[in-house]
Amino acid sequence: GVFAHLEMLEVQSHEAAVKQVEMEQQEEKLARLKATVQELRLQRDKLQAKVDLQQKGQLCKEGVMLPLAQPSAQAVLEWKIKSVKAMLQVFYLTGISGKLTKRGVCFCISTAYEGTYLDSYFLDLLTEPEVQIYRHSVPVFIPLEQIAKKYLQTDIRRFLSVLSDHLNAYVRRRYQADQLQEHFSDQIEGKLQRNSLCNLLVFNYNVSSKSKTFLFNMRLLYGNLCCSLPTEVIISCTPDAPASVAEMAAAHSDLFRRVALHKAFRSFSSTEERVD
Amino acid sequence: MDNSIFQVYEDEIQSLEEEIKLLAEKYEDSQQESTFFSDEEILMSIKSYQTEIKGHEFPSNLKAELETLETDLSFLMKFTGIQFTNHSKKTVEKTRNRTVQKHRLSGNCHSLSFQLEFQLLEMQNKENVSVVINDLSIVMESGENSDVSKFVSSTEESGNLLTFFRSFSSYAEWYEHRRCTFLHFK
Repeated sequence: GVFAHLEMLEVQSHEAAVKQVEMEQQEEKLARLKATVQELRLQRDKLQAKVDLQQKGQLCKEGVMLPLAQPSAQAVLEWKIKSVKAMLQVFYLTGISGKLTKRGVCFCISTAYEGTYLDSYFLDLLTEPEVQIYRHSVPVFIPLEQIAKKYLQTDIRRFLSVLSDHLNAYVRRRYQADQLQEHFSDQIEGKLQRNSLCNLLVFNYNVSSKSKTFLFNMRLLYGNLCCSLPTEVIISCTPDAPASVAEMAAAHSDLFRRVALHKAFRSFSSTEERVD
Repeated sequence: MDNSIFQVYEDEIQSLEEEIKLLAEKYEDSQQESTFFSDEEILMSIKSYQTEIKGHEFPSNLKAELETLETDLSFLMKFTGIQFTNHSKKTVEKTRNRTVQKHRLSGNCHSLSFQLEFQLLEMQNKENVSVVINDLSIVMESGENSDVSKFVSSTEESGNLLTFFRSFSSYAEWYEHRRCTFLHFK
């Protein structure tokens, strides 16, 4: 009766109190978020105005903008440090960069396919008592030991140059195969087979002639490890294919020896109309 | 009170923080790229910096940092034979995932000089950062040589900056040997 009623009122008032606290907490949180947004908006607007002024100042003055106040020695040094760091970054683009270490030099060989920079590899060399490779990230299928044996002791520059040729050629072969798989997968039948060095590629691709489709089997061998074009191209078609198709296979064979894999495929779409 | 209203504010906070970070970087880049201090000014600053830090414990020694970087740079120039005499860059675009810079670079390799201009595009994708060169333009000494000019135009077309440097480096070395040999026999 009365006690049950009192208990119920107590529970209700407790729940109401909890709800009240929750609501106050939520309102506080909302107020804080609103305040943060205001602060950040103000900060952003100030920065934007600063940048706009900076841009205007540069448009008015020709040549070099000199700082208005006398810069501190620290600011000058910080500028110079950034400037030297930028130049060191440019060395990365030349293909061979690095830095001196306590016991020798750590070289970085960068690779690129035309204008696209790809993987880079490092070589940590010790110079005392003789030049030796302490650590490196060169993949195991690159003949590093062979190249080191031939050049490392006598001509480090030549060693890096030859290694760079190998690495760049490997990366470029791999890039061509990747591009082929990425952009011409509709013309490739089945899987594109390749080895880790990417100097042997085998795949089947579709060719259409006179509104009929033929399957070509392609085998590319890159005999020169410093080259990203194949030395051997073997294209075979089915024995019942007409003479015009066999001629096409011969033309393709010649093309793939001269032109990068994905570029050759790109040219097919423009020549296909001609064959039909 | 439902949570979506909090989300709206939290999203705006995140986007404002990113904007602020980008604007701050833009400002710094612009300051860096439009300022120039001569070697004498650098030397003077090193001297006055040294007297400033004398007797104090400084967490970062700028002079030492500069020396290490300059030693690395001069080693690379000596080792590769590629001497950069001037480098300037301008950040023309900067967003969260993309930076575009215009570079001007001049220098020489052994005794042959070159001048380059190119655009560098850095893009942040899921796993890594990709670097692509566009609009490459090359001016080379001994550019009258037809083989050299053929090489230069095919390199410019493909944006093949790396091959340019690798080939130029060996060509310059060969050219130098030839020149020395020629002088020897004169």
